[in-house]
Amino acid sequence: MNIPRCGLMFALLGIVVCADAVGQSENEARTVIGPSNIDLADGATALRVGNAVDGVRLTQRGLQSATNDRDRVAGYSNLCAGYIMLDELDAALDSCNRALEIDDEHWRSYSNRALVYVKQKRYAEAEQDIDTGQSLSPNSRTLRIVKAMLLDATDPVSPTIIIDDRRHVPPDDAE
Amino acid sequence: MLNSRLLLSVVLLLAAAVAADEPRVTYLRDATNNRVPLNTVAPVYPTIARRDRVEGDVQVCFNVDRDGRPFRIAVRSSTDRVFERPSIRAIRASRYVSLPEHQEVPGIKTCRTFRFRLESIG
Repeated sequence: MNIPRCGLMFALLGIVVCADAVGQSENEARTVIGPSNIDLADGATALRVGNAVDGVRLTQRGLQSATNDRDRVAGYSNLCAGYIMLDELDAALDSCNRALEIDDEHWRSYSNRALVYVKQKRYAEAEQDIDTGQSLSPNSRTLRIVKAMLLDATDPVSPTIIIDDRRHVPPDDAE
Repeated sequence: MLNSRLLLSVVLLLAAAVAADEPRVTYLRDATNNRVPLNTVAPVYPTIARRDRVEGDVQVCFNVDRDGRPFRIAVRSSTDRVFERPSIRAIRASRYVSLPEHQEVPGIKTCRTFRFRLESIG
Protein backbone atom coordinates (compact mmCIF):
# COMPACT_ATOMS: atom_id res chain seq x y z
CA MET A 1 0.00 0.00 0.00
CA ASN A 2 1.22 3.41 -0.87
CA ILE A 3 1.08 6.01 1.85
CA PRO A 4 1.41 9.69 0.90
CA ARG A 5 4.51 11.42 2.16
CA CYS A 6 4.21 13.44 5.32
CA GLY A 7 3.86 17.15 4.85
CA LEU A 8 5.45 18.23 8.07
CA MET A 9 8.19 16.61 10.03
CA PHE A 10 10.01 17.64 13.09
CA ALA A 11 12.01 16.00 15.78
CA LEU A 12 11.61 17.04 19.38
CA LEU A 13 13.21 15.42 22.39
CA GLY A 14 14.13 12.43 20.36
CA ILE A 15 10.65 11.68 19.13
CA VAL A 16 9.76 12.18 15.53
CA VAL A 17 6.27 13.48 15.03
CA CYS A 18 4.93 13.56 11.56
CA ALA A 19 1.83 15.44 10.66
CA ASP A 20 0.30 14.98 7.27
CA ALA A 21 -2.17 17.63 6.33
CA VAL A 22 -3.00 16.42 2.87
CA GLY A 23 -6.68 16.48 2.00
CA GLN A 24 -7.98 12.95 1.73
CA SER A 25 -11.21 13.21 -0.11
CA GLU A 26 -12.23 15.79 -2.62
CA ASN A 27 -15.85 14.81 -2.02
CA GLU A 28 -15.65 15.96 1.56
CA ALA A 29 -16.66 19.60 1.83
CA ARG A 30 -16.34 19.76 5.60
CA THR A 31 -13.11 21.03 7.13
CA VAL A 32 -12.01 19.66 10.44
CA ILE A 33 -9.36 21.51 12.36
CA GLY A 34 -6.93 19.24 14.16
CA PRO A 35 -6.25 15.53 14.03
CA SER A 36 -8.93 13.20 12.77
CA ASN A 37 -8.19 10.67 15.49
CA ILE A 38 -7.83 12.50 18.77
CA ASP A 39 -6.72 9.45 20.73
CA LEU A 40 -3.95 8.61 18.27
CA ALA A 41 -2.77 12.20 18.35
CA ASP A 42 -2.87 12.36 22.15
CA GLY A 43 -1.14 9.00 22.36
CA ALA A 44 1.66 10.23 20.13
CA THR A 45 1.99 13.37 22.23
CA ALA A 46 2.18 11.33 25.43
CA LEU A 47 4.84 9.08 23.94
CA ARG A 48 6.76 12.10 22.70
CA VAL A 49 7.05 13.48 26.21
CA GLY A 50 8.08 10.07 27.55
CA ASN A 51 4.77 9.01 29.07
CA ALA A 52 4.77 5.50 27.68
CA VAL A 53 1.89 4.15 29.79
CA ASP A 54 -0.58 6.82 28.70
CA GLY A 55 0.86 6.79 25.22
CA VAL A 56 0.19 3.09 24.78
CA ARG A 57 -3.27 3.34 26.37
CA LEU A 58 -4.36 6.24 24.18
CA THR A 59 -2.89 4.72 21.05
CA GLN A 60 -4.72 1.45 21.70
CA ARG A 61 -7.94 3.41 22.12
CA GLY A 62 -7.22 5.36 18.97
CA LEU A 63 -6.67 2.16 17.04
CA GLN A 64 -10.14 0.92 18.03
CA SER A 65 -11.67 3.87 16.25
CA ALA A 66 -9.21 4.00 13.36
CA THR A 67 -11.14 4.24 10.11
CA ASN A 68 -8.41 3.77 7.52
CA ASP A 69 -5.13 1.98 6.96
CA ARG A 70 -3.04 5.11 7.35
CA ASP A 71 -4.31 5.60 10.88
CA ARG A 72 -3.82 1.95 11.63
CA VAL A 73 -0.22 1.94 10.37
CA ALA A 74 0.57 5.07 12.35
CA GLY A 75 -1.13 3.64 15.41
CA TYR A 76 0.59 0.27 15.35
CA SER A 77 3.95 1.87 14.66
CA ASN A 78 3.48 4.22 17.59
CA LEU A 79 2.25 1.36 19.72
CA CYS A 80 5.42 -0.51 18.84
CA ALA A 81 7.45 2.51 19.93
CA GLY A 82 5.50 2.74 23.18
CA TYR A 83 6.04 -0.91 24.02
CA ILE A 84 9.75 -0.51 23.34
CA MET A 85 9.79 2.32 25.87
CA LEU A 86 8.05 0.00 28.33
CA ASP A 87 10.54 -2.74 27.45
CA GLU A 88 7.69 -5.04 26.44
CA LEU A 89 9.51 -6.34 23.43
CA ASP A 90 7.16 -9.14 22.37
CA ALA A 91 4.22 -6.74 22.31
CA ALA A 92 6.37 -4.20 20.48
CA LEU A 93 7.32 -6.75 17.85
CA ASP A 94 3.71 -7.77 17.37
CA SER A 95 2.69 -4.12 16.85
CA CYS A 96 5.49 -3.46 14.39
CA ASN A 97 4.57 -6.61 12.47
CA ARG A 98 0.96 -5.47 12.27
CA ALA A 99 2.02 -2.09 10.93
CA LEU A 100 4.18 -3.77 8.30
CA GLU A 101 1.41 -6.18 7.34
CA ILE A 102 -0.68 -3.16 6.39
CA ASP A 103 2.15 -1.20 4.80
CA ASP A 104 5.36 -3.01 3.94
CA GLU A 105 7.02 0.25 2.88
CA HIS A 106 6.69 2.00 6.22
CA TRP A 107 10.29 2.78 7.10
CA ARG A 108 9.54 3.93 10.64
CA SER A 109 8.08 0.53 11.44
CA TYR A 110 11.20 -1.14 10.05
CA SER A 111 13.25 1.21 12.19
CA ASN A 112 11.25 0.44 15.32
CA ARG A 113 11.29 -3.29 14.62
CA ALA A 114 15.04 -3.19 14.07
CA LEU A 115 15.37 -1.62 17.49
CA VAL A 116 13.28 -4.41 18.98
CA TYR A 117 15.54 -6.96 17.31
CA VAL A 118 18.66 -5.21 18.60
CA LYS A 119 17.28 -5.34 22.13
CA GLN A 120 16.41 -9.00 21.63
CA LYS A 121 19.93 -9.66 20.28
CA ARG A 122 18.48 -10.81 16.95
CA TYR A 123 21.15 -8.92 15.09
CA ALA A 124 20.79 -10.44 11.61
CA GLU A 125 17.10 -9.56 11.52
CA ALA A 126 17.87 -6.08 12.83
CA GLU A 127 20.39 -5.54 10.06
CA GLN A 128 17.90 -6.71 7.47
CA ASP A 129 15.26 -4.26 8.72
CA ILE A 130 17.77 -1.42 8.82
CA ASP A 131 18.77 -2.15 5.23
CA THR A 132 15.14 -2.25 4.14
CA GLY A 133 14.40 0.97 6.03
CA GLN A 134 17.39 2.72 4.52
CA SER A 135 16.39 1.65 1.03
CA LEU A 136 13.01 3.32 1.69
CA SER A 137 14.42 6.36 3.47
CA PRO A 138 18.12 6.70 2.64
CA ASN A 139 18.69 9.89 4.66
CA SER A 140 16.95 8.85 7.85
CA ARG A 141 18.88 9.96 10.90
CA THR A 142 16.79 7.62 13.03
CA LEU A 143 17.89 4.61 11.04
CA ARG A 144 21.52 5.71 11.31
CA ILE A 145 21.16 5.77 15.07
CA VAL A 146 19.60 2.31 15.10
CA LYS A 147 22.45 1.09 12.92
CA ALA A 148 24.96 2.62 15.33
CA MET A 149 23.24 0.81 18.19
CA LEU A 150 23.43 -2.43 16.23
CA LEU A 151 27.12 -1.88 15.50
CA ASP A 152 27.81 -1.01 19.12
CA ALA A 153 26.20 -4.31 20.08
CA THR A 154 27.95 -6.44 17.48
CA ASP A 155 31.26 -4.64 16.95
CA PRO A 156 31.93 -2.17 19.76
CA VAL A 157 34.65 0.39 19.21
CA SER A 158 36.52 2.82 21.37
CA PRO A 159 37.58 6.25 20.09
CA THR A 160 41.29 6.95 19.99
CA ILE A 161 42.95 10.23 19.13
CA ILE A 162 46.56 10.33 18.06
CA ILE A 163 48.19 13.73 18.46
CA ASP A 164 51.08 13.78 16.06
CA ASP A 165 53.56 16.65 16.43
CA ARG A 166 56.27 14.99 14.39
CA ARG A 167 57.61 16.91 11.46
CA HIS A 168 58.88 13.84 9.67
CA VAL A 169 56.42 11.01 9.87
CA PRO A 170 57.86 7.60 8.99
CA PRO A 171 56.09 6.14 5.92
CA ASP A 172 54.76 3.22 7.95
CA ASP A 173 52.96 5.60 10.31
CA ALA A 174 51.47 7.76 7.65
CA GLU A 175 48.29 5.70 7.42
CA MET B 1 -11.11 17.39 5.15
CA LEU B 2 -8.00 18.18 7.04
CA ASN B 3 -6.51 14.90 7.97
CA SER B 4 -3.69 14.54 10.44
CA ARG B 5 -1.44 11.60 10.99
CA LEU B 6 0.97 11.02 13.76
CA LEU B 7 3.86 8.70 13.33
CA LEU B 8 6.37 8.20 16.01
CA SER B 9 9.66 6.54 16.62
CA VAL B 10 11.37 6.02 19.93
CA VAL B 11 14.79 5.48 18.55
CA LEU B 12 16.21 8.88 19.31
CA LEU B 13 15.23 8.53 22.94
CA LEU B 14 17.67 5.70 23.05
CA ALA B 15 20.40 7.55 21.22
CA ALA B 16 22.19 8.05 24.48
CA ALA B 17 22.68 4.32 24.51
CA VAL B 18 25.22 4.81 21.76
CA ALA B 19 28.36 5.04 23.77
CA ALA B 20 29.88 8.46 24.24
CA ASP B 21 33.03 7.23 25.89
CA GLU B 22 36.16 9.31 26.43
CA PRO B 23 38.81 8.81 23.77
CA ARG B 24 42.16 7.27 24.49
CA VAL B 25 44.90 9.72 23.60
CA THR B 26 48.30 8.87 22.17
CA TYR B 27 50.90 11.60 21.80
CA LEU B 28 53.71 11.39 19.24
CA ARG B 29 56.40 14.03 18.98
CA ASP B 30 60.04 14.46 18.05
CA ALA B 31 62.67 17.04 18.92
CA THR B 32 62.35 19.04 15.73
CA ASN B 33 59.52 21.33 16.81
CA ASN B 34 60.54 24.90 17.48
CA ARG B 35 58.23 25.29 20.47
CA VAL B 36 57.82 23.00 23.44
CA PRO B 37 54.27 21.97 24.34
CA LEU B 38 53.21 22.81 27.86
CA ASN B 39 49.57 21.76 27.93
CA THR B 40 48.28 19.65 25.05
CA VAL B 41 44.51 19.41 24.76
CA ALA B 42 43.01 16.53 22.80
CA PRO B 43 39.97 17.17 20.63
CA VAL B 44 36.61 15.63 21.34
CA TYR B 45 35.69 12.77 19.04
CA PRO B 46 32.60 14.13 17.24
CA THR B 47 29.47 12.26 18.26
CA ILE B 48 28.18 11.96 14.70
CA ALA B 49 31.51 10.63 13.46
CA ARG B 50 31.59 8.19 16.35
CA ARG B 51 28.02 7.11 15.58
CA ASP B 52 28.63 6.67 11.86
CA ARG B 53 32.02 5.02 12.40
CA VAL B 54 33.93 7.72 10.57
CA GLU B 55 37.69 8.04 11.04
CA GLY B 56 39.91 10.81 9.74
CA ASP B 57 42.93 13.08 9.99
CA VAL B 58 43.23 16.82 10.41
CA GLN B 59 46.44 18.81 10.21
CA VAL B 60 46.27 22.21 11.86
CA CYS B 61 49.03 24.83 11.54
CA PHE B 62 49.43 27.90 13.71
CA ASN B 63 51.83 30.42 15.16
CA VAL B 64 52.68 30.49 18.83
CA ASP B 65 53.22 33.83 20.58
CA ARG B 66 55.83 34.58 23.20
CA ASP B 67 53.46 33.57 25.99
CA GLY B 68 52.86 30.18 24.39
CA ARG B 69 49.40 30.88 23.02
CA PRO B 70 48.54 29.57 19.54
CA PHE B 71 47.21 32.11 17.06
CA ARG B 72 46.50 32.29 13.32
CA ILE B 73 45.12 28.79 13.59
CA ALA B 74 44.19 27.22 10.26
CA VAL B 75 43.36 23.78 8.96
CA ARG B 76 46.02 22.76 6.47
CA SER B 77 44.51 19.45 5.44
CA SER B 78 41.55 17.38 6.47
CA THR B 79 39.93 14.15 5.40
CA ASP B 80 36.50 15.10 6.77
CA ARG B 81 35.12 18.45 7.83
CA VAL B 82 33.41 16.93 10.84
CA PHE B 83 36.79 16.77 12.59
CA GLU B 84 37.93 20.32 11.86
CA ARG B 85 36.10 22.31 14.51
CA PRO B 86 37.08 20.09 17.45
CA SER B 87 40.67 20.15 16.19
CA ILE B 88 40.78 23.94 16.10
CA ARG B 89 39.21 24.12 19.55
CA ALA B 90 41.83 21.75 20.89
CA ILE B 91 44.65 23.85 19.46
CA ARG B 92 43.11 27.03 20.82
CA ALA B 93 43.00 25.50 24.31
CA SER B 94 46.56 24.16 24.18
CA ARG B 95 49.60 26.03 25.47
CA TYR B 96 53.34 26.02 24.76
CA VAL B 97 56.23 26.95 26.98
CA SER B 98 56.71 30.71 26.86
CA LEU B 99 59.93 32.22 25.55
CA PRO B 100 62.27 34.41 27.60
CA GLU B 101 62.45 38.12 26.74
CA HIS B 102 65.82 37.89 25.03
CA GLN B 103 64.76 35.10 22.67
CA GLU B 104 63.16 35.98 19.37
CA VAL B 105 59.75 34.51 18.63
CA PRO B 106 60.14 32.30 15.56
CA GLY B 107 57.88 33.21 12.67
CA ILE B 108 57.67 29.65 11.43
CA LYS B 109 54.36 27.91 11.89
CA THR B 110 53.90 24.92 14.11
CA CYS B 111 51.76 22.08 12.80
CA ARG B 112 49.92 19.36 14.63
CA THR B 113 48.08 16.40 13.14
CA PHE B 114 45.12 14.84 14.90
CA ARG B 115 44.29 11.29 13.87
CA PHE B 116 40.77 10.24 14.85
CA ARG B 117 40.53 6.47 15.07
CA LEU B 118 38.03 3.87 16.25
CA GLU B 119 39.53 0.74 17.71
CA SER B 120 37.55 -2.45 17.89
CA ILE B 121 37.12 -3.65 21.45
CA GLY B 122 34.91 -6.64 20.67
